[in-house]
Amino acid sequence: MTDFKMLRLLDKFRWLFIKMGIDYDMMRKILHIKLTMDERKVPTLFNQNKKKDNQKYGYIKSLWIYMLFGLILIPLMGFGQNFLFQMSIAFAMIIFLIMTSLISDFSSVLLDVRDKSILSTKPISAKTINAAKFMHIFIYLSYLTLALTAIPLIVSLFTQGIVFFILTGLEILLMNLFIVAITAILYIAILRFFDGEKLKDMINYVQIALSLMLMIGYQVLIRSFEFVNLDMVVSFHWWNLFLIPMWFAAPYELILHGDTSLLTVIYTILAVIVPIISIWIYIKLIPTFERNLQKLLSTSKSKKEKNNRLKSFLLTIVCRTHEERAFYRFAALMMKQEREFKLKVYPSLGFSFIIPFIFMFTFSRGEEVDYASSMSYLNIYFSMMIIPSAVLMLGHSAKYKAAWIYKTLPLKDYTDLQKGSLKAFLIKLYTPLFLVLSIVFSYIYGIRIIPDLLAVLVTSWLYTILCFVMMTNKLPFTKPYDEVNDAQGWKILLLLLPLGVLVGLHYLIAQITYGSTIYFIVLFFINILIWKLVFKSKK
Amino acid sequence: MEEILTITNLTKNYGNKEILKGIDLHAARGEIIGYIGPNGAGKSTTVKLILGLEGDYGGEIKLFGKSIGQDKIDYKRRIGYVPEIADVYDNLTGYEYLTFIGQLYGLELEEAADKSKSLMELFGVGEAYHSRISSYSKGMRQKLLIIASLIHNPDLLFLDEPINGLDANSVMIFKEILTQLAANGKTIFYSSHIMDVVEKISSRIILLYDGKIAADGTFAQLKADNTEGTLERIFNQLTGFHEHQEIGEKFVSVVRGGQL
Repeated sequence: MTDFKMLRLLDKFRWLFIKMGIDYDMMRKILHIKLTMDERKVPTLFNQNKKKDNQKYGYIKSLWIYMLFGLILIPLMGFGQNFLFQMSIAFAMIIFLIMTSLISDFSSVLLDVRDKSILSTKPISAKTINAAKFMHIFIYLSYLTLALTAIPLIVSLFTQGIVFFILTGLEILLMNLFIVAITAILYIAILRFFDGEKLKDMINYVQIALSLMLMIGYQVLIRSFEFVNLDMVVSFHWWNLFLIPMWFAAPYELILHGDTSLLTVIYTILAVIVPIISIWIYIKLIPTFERNLQKLLSTSKSKKEKNNRLKSFLLTIVCRTHEERAFYRFAALMMKQEREFKLKVYPSLGFSFIIPFIFMFTFSRGEEVDYASSMSYLNIYFSMMIIPSAVLMLGHSAKYKAAWIYKTLPLKDYTDLQKGSLKAFLIKLYTPLFLVLSIVFSYIYGIRIIPDLLAVLVTSWLYTILCFVMMTNKLPFTKPYDEVNDAQGWKILLLLLPLGVLVGLHYLIAQITYGSTIYFIVLFFINILIWKLVFKSKK
Repeated sequence: MEEILTITNLTKNYGNKEILKGIDLHAARGEIIGYIGPNGAGKSTTVKLILGLEGDYGGEIKLFGKSIGQDKIDYKRRIGYVPEIADVYDNLTGYEYLTFIGQLYGLELEEAADKSKSLMELFGVGEAYHSRISSYSKGMRQKLLIIASLIHNPDLLFLDEPINGLDANSVMIFKEILTQLAANGKTIFYSSHIMDVVEKISSRIILLYDGKIAADGTFAQLKADNTEGTLERIFNQLTGFHEHQEIGEKFVSVVRGGQL
């Protein structure tokens, strides 16, 4: 094990910790072991295309993406004097990015229950253990914050001067404290009222929502630069009080512009006081937190299985054999309950709901669209962009080792398993999304497009089976997620090409009267034929 | 004999559920105490209270002559613990984990490294010393946990199903280790559901049932007090359980397609 530079830096502050009554040497040992372990895991943002031998310093290496994000901050922090507006936006971005990273990568640190049984049985004070936990998070936040803000800060030092530079540095520190404390308090609140499984689910949903926001935010950001006018004048309103980034923007007006109006002063005070109060509350709540953390270990309440007659009847139509139905239910449950699968697929599911609209508005910008005759509803095809990656992910699972069970089952082959899981994906994930999209589209374009929508639906089935045929790993839930590699990533991109062909085909056919209806019927039967063909060849 | 652990009238509630209903317990130097009881009787709760993993209890726990309420930290230096379901930082190697634990107990790095290496080798898992724990088999993991609990030469040991996953030869080694430890004046609490093992290794047996102590004495004494001949039978008798035959028959009948 190598020593860490960060820890040697920390050694300089040894006296401070000792003064606070913390056993510094013990804390250093714990931090050392934690940092060693972190070296060996890869953050969520990157675990898709990392090679196995390249995992050392995975975290530090992953920081370049934040440096890239940081470049966006340069125009906001480096130039212009409209501080209230610019810095509000800048801080909003910083808070968002840091909080995302904190929740997705450090929830495990905050919520590590192993600490309790491993560390608390040793002769170490609770204070030292908590200090180690806090410092552990703090070290990473420092890396992250530095990566994100170093370049814009240096630029601002030259363009805005030393006062701006120091002020920003201080505020970023305060903001980090605020973020850690507020995240922890959030967890404490959730743990207080719900059990551990619920909390894990909630963190999972937060992660999903944030990933989705990141995807959409990126799209919006690119477009927003056309609208944003940096000379925009923003003035204070009382309701701005709830816009936290604005608090942090106020001190610039106060100190650099000498604006001493009441609201500016109030915001400045808030920016300083609230982080300090929140960290104080957090420290006060730590014992409660530790106690409730035990909930993570407790078993959750069992749910009663509901049996819906209609559902089981419909299922017998969709899945003909008994085994296929069993696998359908199994796959549906896995997709619904496996957090990692959700984290990888649900954000893109949400994204594929948005993307047809993004394309719709991008293509029609500036022109008046006649929705009664327009063909732009074909943008709904873009919702199928989720299918290749979802079909790929279907082959993977965090609990991939449990797949030994397939081998012990008396099965002739795995076609039922494959069919069942593909159908479960189509019915449980894609179709609901498509239905909602269809309703919205029918509302916009009129019910004349229903035959087209039906044709699109059966196309999605066909496309799914095509994606499945192209995948190398065909057994559902049998490979770990870190085996999803670059080659497969390329395959997903390539699989988007046939989508374009399908759109073109539909466009041409829709020119003919009743073309779409006939197209739908023909596709429907081709579908049945192909599904049969694909799954027959192996029997 | 020197008294290591004294528990007087220990009570513990979870909400309004009473887990421990007043436990009195004494343990002396060199004793191996078989600590048994049905699931949910309060065995692990007692151990967690002694280790300070849980608080808010009634009564008194005295270790090495001092109440654990007074000195919350230092007494842990003299305790070793193998939990039943053990969390381990399993992305560390055996070497890294054991030296870490050793250091937390106040050992120097070199000392901890030498000790853990020798112990791993003696236990037949020396070749895995520098591999990640996540790659260990169940038995190897268990050996690692046993070593981690002993590395600081504790005076009091709490072992919860410690032989889980060990092969027959390793179990023999382990039993000998326990005998030697006891001969060297260590006190051992041994929790297990495998009655045959408890019967053989324990110098004293304490049976916990429904938050109270239902029996306390040597195996010979328990046999004299109860009519049954094996610890398993005594266990059944003291916990008032007789339906095993009936339930077993019904179980098989349902397996074969019958109704309850």
